[in-house]
Amino acid sequence: MKYDVVIIGGGMAGLMSSIYMAEQGFKTAVVSKGDPVCSISTGCIDVAGDFTGIPENHPYGRAGEDKIRLSLDYFKKLMEKEGLPYIGEFLQNRFIYTSIASRRATSMVPLSMAEAHEAKKGSIHIISFKGMKDFFPGYFKGEENNQNISIFDAGSKTTIGIATSFDDLTFREKFFNWIGDQTIDADVIAVPAVLGTKNPQAIIDEIEKISGKKIFEIPTLPPSMPGLRLFRTLKRAASQRGVDLFWGNAISDYTEEKGQIQSLIIDQPGRPTIVESRSFILATGSFVSGGLFAEKTSVRETVFDLNVSIPEGEQRLNDSFFDPGHPLGRAGIAVDEKYKPVNSIMKNLFIGGSILENSQIMKYQCGHGMAIVTGLESAKSCEEYLK
Amino acid sequence: MRESYEHCIRCTICVENCPVFKVNPEYPGPKQAGPDAMRFRMEGEKKVDKWINMCTQCRRCEQVCPHDVKPASLILKSQIEYARANGSAPTQVMFSNFHFISHLASFFAPIANLATSMTIVKKMMKIIGLRDDIPFPRFSFKTMQRKKVKPQPGIRKAVFFHGCYLNGNAPDTGRDIVQLMQDMGVEVIIPPQVCCGLPALGNGNEKKAISFAKKNAAVFAEKVNEGYDILYSCTSCGHTLVHSYPELVGEEGKLIADNSWNIYEYMEKLIDENQLKLPEGKMEKTIAYHIPCHLKGTGKPYPVINIFKSIPGVKLHIMDENCCGFSGSYGFKKKNKETTDKLGRIAANALLEVNPDVIISDCGACRMQIENFTDVRICDPADILKESFQ
Ligand SMILES: Cc1cc2nc3c(=O)[nH]c(=O)nc-3n(C[C@H](O)[C@H](O)[C@H](O)COP(=O)(O)OP(=O)(O)OC[C@H]3O[C@@H](n4cnc5c(N)ncnc54)[C@H](O)[C@@H]3O)c2cc1C
Ligand code: SF4
Ligand code: SF4
Repeated sequence: MKYDVVIIGGGMAGLMSSIYMAEQGFKTAVVSKGDPVCSISTGCIDVAGDFTGIPENHPYGRAGEDKIRLSLDYFKKLMEKEGLPYIGEFLQNRFIYTSIASRRATSMVPLSMAEAHEAKKGSIHIISFKGMKDFFPGYFKGEENNQNISIFDAGSKTTIGIATSFDDLTFREKFFNWIGDQTIDADVIAVPAVLGTKNPQAIIDEIEKISGKKIFEIPTLPPSMPGLRLFRTLKRAASQRGVDLFWGNAISDYTEEKGQIQSLIIDQPGRPTIVESRSFILATGSFVSGGLFAEKTSVRETVFDLNVSIPEGEQRLNDSFFDPGHPLGRAGIAVDEKYKPVNSIMKNLFIGGSILENSQIMKYQCGHGMAIVTGLESAKSCEEYLK
Repeated sequence: MRESYEHCIRCTICVENCPVFKVNPEYPGPKQAGPDAMRFRMEGEKKVDKWINMCTQCRRCEQVCPHDVKPASLILKSQIEYARANGSAPTQVMFSNFHFISHLASFFAPIANLATSMTIVKKMMKIIGLRDDIPFPRFSFKTMQRKKVKPQPGIRKAVFFHGCYLNGNAPDTGRDIVQLMQDMGVEVIIPPQVCCGLPALGNGNEKKAISFAKKNAAVFAEKVNEGYDILYSCTSCGHTLVHSYPELVGEEGKLIADNSWNIYEYMEKLIDENQLKLPEGKMEKTIAYHIPCHLKGTGKPYPVINIFKSIPGVKLHIMDENCCGFSGSYGFKKKNKETTDKLGRIAANALLEVNPDVIISDCGACRMQIENFTDVRICDPADILKESFQ
């Protein structure tokens, strides 16, 4: 079978590309070596810490404000349709809490975190779980003495273990009864994000009914359920739109003819799988997901061995290793205004997501936001090419 | 293998996908049981602990790891090591040899079925560590081997690997599958064969697995050389043929792996090559499809979906986020009861959410497990295809 478009990488960028392309009626597939960062993330969409500070050569510079806004709207409508609604506006960051009691700005959040924005430290009632790892109510107490904390014994100490328990109706019932017995004076309740592995809205509604208080979730350290919910929702959305998923095996080779990539060869036990397509979008992420690989003296792109731009003349392994501005954060693939790689002869290849040059995700806090925008924009370029 | 586990970046992606980890607080999860524990398994170090056997070998961790670390494979090696160092429990011996049990039991089917339901036998089962609260699979005398479907000349030739379950426990479904393929123009023969070897592997008996694999490989490789393709329907047998045979048998095993096809993947290929046209089907049904872990593990789009898509009236819901928790012999063991039951209920509830008229799954063990949690009819995809084509 020959596809119209094959997207390489099943992260935020790749899944958004695939959903868009399938909605336009193209025969679409995603090839991904593994699950993406999104599935362990907070699930909140960072668009930009401070948008005005972002330089022209950043991928946002190429997209421009209007297209950024359009892309984020597309994402929000999609999530609404898929039953995991998000709120928040471009250029109006809002706050969430972290598991160590700090406040952090982000752009769009799942409804279960909406109330965090207005909640003031010291007037929150924390509900946590006995022995829970990856969430630290003590920090809240450390920040504000009057912080109230109630601890429920869920029989499990891990985020995924407790969230799985919440999927079970009998467990929920037990928890609701316990909530009913708590004295809660604070204005609002906060709970680590373990209210089920799926959309927690029904659980939230019930707690609000019982307690008469608003409630919000606090994302835990990875693995974090809101990220898992977001990823699974997007993956299912792609699959339901007819996107074929090739998942879990690395691409070992590709074939090319006259500047056109013809097919990918997926290495796996038994016969290799050959995936043919008219066009390709590369969205394999950067170092964390393996789209880029750092050798001792160079950086390699792992599928097509594309030219990787890295800042010249700066010491790469310098002391600022953990600083957000580290030069390696700029490494990536340079593209033209059509999201085609410069310095490459491939005419049917487009690039999206955090593998793009000058992304500097940490510095500009533009993680999922940039992935959404460039995932959709590269797909639109590819659409134009296919027409 | 060493290189691969040293690539672990401890991202915890495998952990959030491990079915056992999410319901059993005792199990440390694939990251700790796999790459993290490897450094304690070097020469001369203390060997692995008992908890290593809590892993069901569903292999979900391997599919999601973005860095090619193979936690399940590392764990399997340790399970084999553990069995070697500590001897096998009676249940492990029994399930390693399930092939022989299946043979004996289907020969004495009526007696065997009666026996496994008798109180005294149940008590004995309990003593050796088996669960007595779930039905043991029923055996059939008319196995696929004893009552073979007659080969019908066609445009392609194939050999069918039925495995133990279809042969001994669901031979009618097995015969239907073979007939379905033949009606579509593929000549299917059923050579003599033994267990694929997965139960032996899963119970720490690599030697036995190799001996089974060698026997099968010899028979099937000869057929491949004569121009036959190998077809399988049981996704666990298929996974073993494709993933494990190259390692267990070597060259001949690789030949098996390269030429084995899931029956629906094979149909799709023939349709693609214009060699086959599906019969017109019709069926007004909502179907919930439980994807077995070993089908998910192939990493390819699920082939039967496209075939169902072409049948008017079918509403198909795909559920691939849950492991049923049975995992072959794992679920029969008393010590795994709680984990197995919890996972089974989660999987069944997810399927029931779409109000299905019927539930389908390619794996006999998954079907057996899900049946424990619902009254909705559950069967092999081939059973439904057959009905829709009538
Ligand atoms: C721990 C962590 C937490 C984060 N949390 C947040 C957050 O809460 N909010 C936020 O906005 N941003 C967050 N970010 C940043 C954000 O996750 C990423 O910038 C963004 O999701 C990148 O998306 P992507 O699609 O470009 O790449 P990725 O999500 O990295 O996806 C790349 C995909 O490609 C696959 N792949 C890689 N190489 C190959 C190959 N050779 N062949 C086939 N497939 C391949 C990978 O398996 C992966 O599925 C976080 C980052 C990290 C590291
Ligand atoms: S084994 Fe793979 S998925 Fe698991 S923590 Fe290590 S790198 Fe991540
Ligand atoms: S094989 Fe399955 S049960 Fe075993 S560690 Fe991996 S995910 Fe968990």
